[in-house]
This record gives sequence, C-alpha cells and structure tokens, in this order.
Amino acid sequence: MNSPFRALFGRRSTQVERYLGVLIVIYSAVVGFQNPRFLSLETVFDIVHEGAPTMILAIGVLLVLVSGGIDVSFPAVAICSAYVSIKLMWVFGLDALWFMAPVSIAIGLLLGLVNALLIHFLKLPTLIVTLGTMSVYRGFMAVTLGTSQYPVATMPKSLAEFGLANIVSVDGEGSSYGLSVFFPIVVALFAVTWFILYHTMLGRAVFAMGSDEEAASRVGVNLLRTRLFVYGYTGALAGMAGLMYFAAMQNVDPVALQGFELMVIAAVVIGGAKLTGGEGTILGTFLGVLLFQLFQSTLVQLGLASTWASFFFGSVLLFSLAMIYYRQRKADQRNLVFRIG
Amino acid sequence: MENILKWLKANGYESVLAGVNILVLLLLGLILGDSFYSISNMQSMSTQVAEFGLLALAMGLAMLTGGIDLSIVSSAVLAGIVGAEFLTGNVFDLESTDPTLVMGAAVVAALVTGLLCGLLNGVLIAKTSIPPILATLGTSIFFTGVGTVITGGASLPVRVKAFFQLGVVTVARVPVVFIIMVVALILAAIALKRTRSGRRIYLYGENSIALRFTGVRHERLIILLYAVIGLICGIAALIMVSRTASARVGYGEAYLLQAILVVVLAGFNPFGGRGKVLGLVLALLMLQTLSSAFTIMRYGPYMKVFIWGAMLLAVMFLNRLMNRNKRSTRGDETNDAGQTVVTVEGSSA
Amino acid sequence: MADSILTAENLSISFGGVNALVDVNVAIARGEIRCLVGENGSGKSTFVKIASGVYHPSRGTVQVGGKLLSPGDPRAAIDAGIQVVFQDLALFDQLSVAENIAFSVLLNSKNAYVGRKRMRQLAADVLEIMEVELPLDDPVSTLSMANKQLVAIARALCMDAQLIFMDEPTAALTKKEVNRLLEVVLGLRDRGISIVFISHKLDEVFRIADTITIFRDGRKVGDFEAAELTQAKLTYYMTGREVEYPAYKREPREADEVPLLEVRGLADRLHYRDVSFSVRPGDVLGLTGLLGAGRTEVALTLFGLNQAVRGEILLDGKPARIASPQQAVASGIALVSEDRKTEGLFMEQSVGHNISSTRLDTLLNKLRFLDLRAERELASRMVQAMGVNNKDIDILVGKLSGGNAQKVVIGKWIATEPRLLILDSPTVGIDVGSKAEIYESIQRLARAGMGIILISDEPEEIAANCNRVIVMYEGAIVATVSQAERETPDFVERLARMISEPTSQLAAPIQEGVPQA
Repeated sequence: MNSPFRALFGRRSTQVERYLGVLIVIYSAVVGFQNPRFLSLETVFDIVHEGAPTMILAIGVLLVLVSGGIDVSFPAVAICSAYVSIKLMWVFGLDALWFMAPVSIAIGLLLGLVNALLIHFLKLPTLIVTLGTMSVYRGFMAVTLGTSQYPVATMPKSLAEFGLANIVSVDGEGSSYGLSVFFPIVVALFAVTWFILYHTMLGRAVFAMGSDEEAASRVGVNLLRTRLFVYGYTGALAGMAGLMYFAAMQNVDPVALQGFELMVIAAVVIGGAKLTGGEGTILGTFLGVLLFQLFQSTLVQLGLASTWASFFFGSVLLFSLAMIYYRQRKADQRNLVFRIG
Repeated sequence: MENILKWLKANGYESVLAGVNILVLLLLGLILGDSFYSISNMQSMSTQVAEFGLLALAMGLAMLTGGIDLSIVSSAVLAGIVGAEFLTGNVFDLESTDPTLVMGAAVVAALVTGLLCGLLNGVLIAKTSIPPILATLGTSIFFTGVGTVITGGASLPVRVKAFFQLGVVTVARVPVVFIIMVVALILAAIALKRTRSGRRIYLYGENSIALRFTGVRHERLIILLYAVIGLICGIAALIMVSRTASARVGYGEAYLLQAILVVVLAGFNPFGGRGKVLGLVLALLMLQTLSSAFTIMRYGPYMKVFIWGAMLLAVMFLNRLMNRNKRSTRGDETNDAGQTVVTVEGSSA
Repeated sequence: MADSILTAENLSISFGGVNALVDVNVAIARGEIRCLVGENGSGKSTFVKIASGVYHPSRGTVQVGGKLLSPGDPRAAIDAGIQVVFQDLALFDQLSVAENIAFSVLLNSKNAYVGRKRMRQLAADVLEIMEVELPLDDPVSTLSMANKQLVAIARALCMDAQLIFMDEPTAALTKKEVNRLLEVVLGLRDRGISIVFISHKLDEVFRIADTITIFRDGRKVGDFEAAELTQAKLTYYMTGREVEYPAYKREPREADEVPLLEVRGLADRLHYRDVSFSVRPGDVLGLTGLLGAGRTEVALTLFGLNQAVRGEILLDGKPARIASPQQAVASGIALVSEDRKTEGLFMEQSVGHNISSTRLDTLLNKLRFLDLRAERELASRMVQAMGVNNKDIDILVGKLSGGNAQKVVIGKWIATEPRLLILDSPTVGIDVGSKAEIYESIQRLARAGMGIILISDEPEEIAANCNRVIVMYEGAIVATVSQAERETPDFVERLARMISEPTSQLAAPIQEGVPQA
C-alpha cells in the first residue's frame, strides 16, 4: 500500500489516527452544515491562535507518556515560568520579548529538571510526585510574588503585541484576520520534537525506557539522563507555552490553567499515547488536541452553549478509551496474556 | 505491656504517625493555646474534616487496589448538584411540598448519583480494562461536563432551610457530620479487616493476576469497590451542599490533591496492597489540625497549597528512605522463567 | 589458562539461607562453546548472573581477559565484552529490528544523530555475519520467538561481544529453528567468540559443546570434554546417586472405570487442537513437550482461563463446563501455575494470607465475618503439611526462598482439598532440596487418591513422578506413554528424544492422537 499518508510520514497511519481523522471530518461537516461560516480560513486561523499553547503543552505530555510517566505539573510550570519571567523583567525595567522568552523557557527547564530528579530518586508513581511539585510551584510563586492579575492595559506591551501579531493578514468583509505568529512556532516545535524522538539516540532511548525500563537499563540506557531530558524538555516547552497563553488571552493571570493538566493529558491519550509507555505519535497528539479545541470553540456554532464542551469531550474520551482498551483486552484474552489491573 | 509493644511493632508506621501527631498537637497548644484548644475550634475542625475525610477514604480505597480515583471530587460535585436540584425548587414546588419529602428526595438523589458515578468507573475499569487513572480521568471530565450542562455553570442555591441544619446540628456538642464520617471510617475498617471482600481488596492491590488465578471474581470485586467509593462521594456531597448551602461545578477542586496527600501520608502504598484505616485517621487528624492552625495564623490559601505539596514530597521522600514502598525484587530465583506477563504498575498508578 | 576469556574463582552466594552456589571455579577459553548443564535449581543460572554482574557474589572473583571484574556491576561486564541473552530477551517490541540490534552500539557512540542508513547498515552487517536474514524495518513485536532470539543475539554481537551467555535459548524453539540457531552458534565460535550455552536438552548439548560443565546442587561436578561423555554418564553426573528420586507407581484401585477427568478432542482458538486424555484418581499424568507446545494452554483451559472452542471435558464421566477459575475451583480443580511470582503469590502479604486466599469463603463465622482464628489454624496446618522451612505464618512470602515460596503456593491449593491438581513446571527456579520435598508431596497426594497433572520439560522429573505421559508438539499430542511403557529401563533417554524430536514421533506406529497436518 503506497498511500499518500505513507509517502508523507514514512509509516502507516495508526488506527487511532484514522479514527480521530474521521471523527474530526464528520464533526466539521456537521458544524459546517449548521453554520457555513464555520468552513472558512478565519475559523482555521482562530483555532491556530487559541490552540497553540495547548498544542505545545501537549507535545510535552506526549513525551512524558512515551517515556512511561505522567506529568500533571506542566500548567503550573507554564504559569510560574511566564509570571516569574515577567516580574523579573520589570525588576530590570524592561519590556521585551527577547528577555521574557529565554528566561521563561529557562525557568521551565529548571522546574522540569527538578521533577525529573524527584521522579528518578523517589521511584514512585510520577502522577503523585508531579502532583506534589505542582502544588509547590504554584504555592511558592503565589506566596512570594502574590497573585496580582495584569490585564491588557498593564501587561507588558511586547507580550500583548506578540499575542496579536500575524504573519499573514487577510482583509475580510468588515473585519480583518490573520495567521498568528504562533503558527510557525508550533510547527517548528513539532518538527524539532519529531526529529529528536525519531532521529536521535536520546529520542530512541525515551521510547526504549517507556517500552521496558528494565531492558533499557540492561542495554545501557542512562535512565537518569533520559528522564532529565524528558521532563526538562517538557518544562521548557511549558515555559514557552505559558507566555503564549498570557499573550493569547491578553491577560496575565497567575492562577490560570488550574485543572487544565487533565484536559491536555486527555487530549494526548485520545491521540493514542499509552500510559504504559513506548507508544504515541505526534500526529495523533495533534489530532487529539485539535478535537479538544474544536469542542472548546465551535459548539456555539452548533447552537449549543459552551457549557457542553466538557460533556462532549468527556464522552468522546470515555468512548475512545473503552474502544482502545477493550480491543486490547480481547487480544489479551486470545493470547493468554494476563495483566495487572 | 507486652501486648502494647507487640502492637507497636506490628503497626510501626502508624505508631510513628501517632507520635508525630501528639508532637504537633502539643506544639500547637504551646504556640496557639486557647485559640486552638477551644470548643468552638474543635467543632469547626470536626465539621470541616467531615466531607474531606470521606473523600480521602474514597481515595484510600481506590489506592488499596493499586488504582486511583481522579473523579472523587467531580462525582461528589455532580451528586451534590443533582441533590441540590431538588432543594432549589426546580423539581418540587417548595411552598406546597413537605420539606421532609423534599430533603428525602434530595438525599436519595445525591446518593444514587454518587453510586451510579462509582458504578460507571467500576464497569469501565473491570469490563473494558481501562487503567483506573485513565478511566477516572475520563469520567471526571464527563461528570464535570454533566454538572455544567445541568447548572449552566452557575451555582445552585439551596432554598430548603432545614437542610442547612445537617451541617450545623450537634449531638453532645459533636457535629453530626463528624459522626457520619466516623461511622463511615469504622465501617470501612471493619469491612477491610474482617470481610472476604476487604481481604480480597488487599490481595487485588498486591497482585491482581494472582487473585484471578486464585479463583476470585475479581471484576465483580472492582465494580463493587468503585460503587462503594461512589456512594461515599455521594455522602460527602450531601455534607458539602448543606455546609455551603449551594452546589456548583468547580467546588472543592483542591480536595483531590489533599486526598492523595492524606492517603500517602497515611502510609498507603500507591502501588496497592497496603494501607490501614487507622493510618488514615491519624493522617486526617494531622492535616486538619495543621490546616486549622494555619487558618488561625492567617496563612493564605496558597501558603496551604505550598505546604501540602511540600508535605506530600517530604512524606514520599521519607518513605523512600525507610524503603517502604519498594517492591522487593529479591534475587532468590535461580532461573529466569520466560514471562508472559506485562506488569504496568510502575506507570499506571 | 593463558587464553581464557573468563575465569571465575571460588564463587559462592546464598539466598534466604539456601546455598545457591558453593565454591564454583570455571574457566572459559576463547572461541569455545561451553555448555552448562544441571537440573532446575542446580545453580547454572545463578552462575550466569554473577558472571554478568547482575548478582553480587558473597565470595569469589570473576576475571575477564585477565582483569578483575567489579562484582555486581552489569555495565562493567558489558564493557568487558560479556553479553547475556536472557530467556526474556529484553527487546523493545515497538522498535524496529534494526533499531533493536543497533541500539546499544548507537547508544555508546558519540554521535547523537541516528542515521537510518548507518543503523540499518550496522544491523545488516551483523546479520550477515550470522548468515541470517530478517526484515530490518519491521517492529520486533511482529517476529516469531525464534527470530526474536536471533535479534537478541545480533544485538549482543553488535556490541563486540567476546563472550555470549545464552540462557535456555532453545526452550521455545522447534527442531528446525533449533538447528538454525545452533548453526549460528557454531559460526560464531569459528569467529573466535566464546559461547556459554545453557540447556537441559542433552542432544543439543552434545551437538555443539566443546566442553561441558555440570552443576549439581549449587556445586560444580566437573568439566568434561564433550567427546568423553555419554548421555547416560551425563545424566548420572547431573542427578547423582544420592538424589535418585523414587519413581512413582500407581496401584490399581476399585472404580477405575470412570476417570476423574476425561478430555475428548479439545481445542482452543490458537494454541492446541484435538487433545484427548484422561486422569484417574491416583494418576500422575505427565504433560510434556517444548515450551509453547500447548501444555500450559491446556492447563489454563482446565482451570477456566482459556476457553475451548471444540471438544468435551468430562468430570466423573459427566460433561462439565469450566468457564472461569471459580467454576474450576468449585469442581475441585486446582492449578499451580507456571509463573509463581506473578500468578501464584502475593509477595508482600503474609504466608497466612497467601494460604487462606483460596479458602476465604469457608473461613467465615456466624456473622459472615472472617474467622481469623480458623484462618491461622488452616495456615499453620498447611505450612506443616508442606514442610515450609519457616513455620511463622506472619512472615511475608517475599522473604522465603523460591522453593519454600513454591510450597506455599501448593499449600494454598491443597487447602481447597482439590480432586485434580495441575502443577505447571513446579520446580523451575527452586533448590534441589525443596525439589525432592515437592516430589514427595506430589507422590503422597497421588497415593491418597488425588488426580495430578504434572507439566514439565525435564525428562527426569517426568520419569520420576508420572505413571503416564503425554508429549505435545505444536499444539497436538504426538505420543502417549502407558504405565507399562514408562517402566522400561531406558525410558528417560527415549522421553528426552520424544520431546526434542517430536516430528520423528509422527512416523512411529500405533500412536494415539496423531495430529492433523
């Protein structure tokens, strides 16, 4: 089979990817039927703009899941790094993205490394460890820096402009819209992550560790170093995503994104990443987040209040999970594989 | 005397926990004096601990099986919302209906909702083999979604005055809600120690495959367990609604972290198979006293969040030092048998 | 010993009070094929684990190429050119064949970039040396067991291995696959690589070994030139006169017409077909064959964990449906499964709780609560009956040695007073002392009228304990041995041949249950 998909990605599509693709097409068709304005470039651009921070966070989550762990601290890391970088910049009396971005990424990296060290040495469920660090990061920041919000009037100008900047602008009837600068950033990060995961030893080690930790260590994978990379990279991505989130919202809110971690993890899991590690694709992650974002921003166009978003997303999530794991259960029964749980 | 020593030895961790508790209580007495050791503070503490204690119990039960329930708060909130629907006048005309009937309906509705939430978790985990962490992640989003759809995101005000009483009423100066929690904890302790299902829950948490090979209906056990967890969340929901006189999506989100903290602090093994209700009681006592002390000392909510997170990490670190949560992989085998079994415990808990 | 690649001196180690290895000296020359033989529990796998740095010996040293190896350090062993192909292989299922083979090399190279070309080249080169062809880009999960085995060997080679340990590499392979593997092993020797080959299939051992080292009871019996040994002599050295097991003989009973269990034309979806046999009270039926021949799968069906799609199971002559372990237990069937650690025991629970786990339904008082006193009594009784060395029922099972833990598993099933006891490889990984005690228990239970199915791939074990034997191959029964035949003098050798060369059985006359092609 030489499908266009294979030509583009160099592999066969996974079942989950096909399923999600079909789901998204059907959903878009339904919404488009109800509201023809939906099927427009503007909608696409909107979704790119709104969904970009989530996409970047999701890349990190994918990496962690592939490595066999789970991380719930990344929204806390995102908010903390971005907020601290802004506060720090004001100390120097600056207002510049070139300061905020590297600092925020560096702080994210640092917090991620802390996660990695704790996970490696405590040898406990990563969920519980990162639940602890999540609270420590958020709590510590709030206690030391306060929780003042900076709406668009008082937030750094450079950040507000970053949120509105477009690389392409289109003048429509009455309003103009454009493709956000977030787009190339997300594309670049997808490409870099893809390259690392599939074309470097580090990436292969991440898969190996997630697939069978004991075997990986037996053939000489340095588990500590691999974990430092996984959680550090995730933290750095979160640092970037935090700034982009503030920019997109046009509001610096240090208590935002609480509870968001579960949504992003859910999106990545829908995309086919397994909690048992070693499995997950970047395309699947992209589709999972896209689906989530569609529910978030387009239910209104179906004539439903936005309060239905969680209901729909939760239902799709449960259905997908049941499908994925029931299939595995049947295969296990056939092959006489017995699993814990 | 000998018996006491024997008990202390058998319950080493609980003994240490009890010692630390006594130390904390003495210290708080020294620092805060009467503002801590007053009837009113004791009452407010025991009222506050009730709903949270129930949620922690629910989490603890899930963790005994090596699972986790991320949906405890959202199912409690959903149960509260369904119950509150009856108390807002949306279902019954409050003017013309007997308040007892209204309240009875609300209680039943909340409990049934909780039970159904738990049942859904149990069926998903037992019958489709979704790992508990993912199943409850999914249901927590789903329950929140249902709650949001019902309320439209707004807060439901309770209009039946008598219902507030549940949160306030005391028997011999002890709040009724506290008594409810204590009864639930005692029942759980007895069930875990002295019933077949209780014992099997420990065995399941220790090694679910071996339990299957022992000829136990493990799927029924898990469904039953999560149903009970849901029911406990339903009870917690009633206390929540009566205390706050309202129900809304997003209430009590911080409880999830605290519940996990308490359960880990209580000496439960997150990989399953170990944990005692006694430990849970001591951990709850500690968390509640500290929480009240912080309130008296005017610590903000974020200070608490920070302290709880730090405590969670510290307890795990200490457990690591004491080598308690290490699965013993002893080298007593002289032959590596080919394994057909994939153990996923390290990443799924 | 100038040209020896590995020299081990005075190695000793003990687990849970049992001496697993006592004062063992082994020297392996460059470019030789050394076979380690011995019964289950004789210490050969323990030796491998010490030599490869997995275990830290309590005494003794290992030198590689004249340099002392730091004990308990797998990295050091790998750096010194020692590779182990463990039975579980430790491959990454989701990664491709090429990636698996080249993984370790690329990991150690300074170049962080994984060039697909270079990786495939590395893998292709090694496979060429081995003279085998494998699909480089397919995920390992799609390969057969035999090909996975080859991937694991290729990976070891890729790491510039000077000495490769192979732990029972042929256990799951068919004759044809074994031949291919042995060709590869011989080819490696010609390139100057030393191979330590662990197997208890003696015909393979004789085909490839330069030197044979025999282990018994944690000690080395000696090194022998392959040419100077015969199978009979080897078997003699392995078992030793002092551990000659008393052979079981079933006495005729009344009511022999209706067997306890009868299986007619049984087949499951994937693993076996057309299986027929019967078990009478007092029978110890040996079920043997290569790993993966369908033995375990038949046992799982009888225990309700693997649904049959065809055929009949009769208990006491009446058709029975066993759809779940609950029903099996209710019908008086017990299964001591193959994988003791994951399927049999609750390692971090007490011995008492382990034993009572099968009997909770009967350990209730009037209020339907657990009767803790009755539970303790039951546990104590079973610990006594099985001869577990530590009589404390509150001790955690994980603290017992493998042999004593196995007695606990058997005890938990004896507690249910089963009529049919299935033991799947009950002596794998346990010491020789416990092994003898377990044989004693098996024979005692059989004499008391229990029906027993003993699954094993050790011909000696089958010969010592079974009065009738069934040999399976690729999911079908290829030979059925009656009690009379079983008592012929050279039975052990013949049985070993039946297991390792099942295809030759197909041509043999008057065999029951000849498989369909």
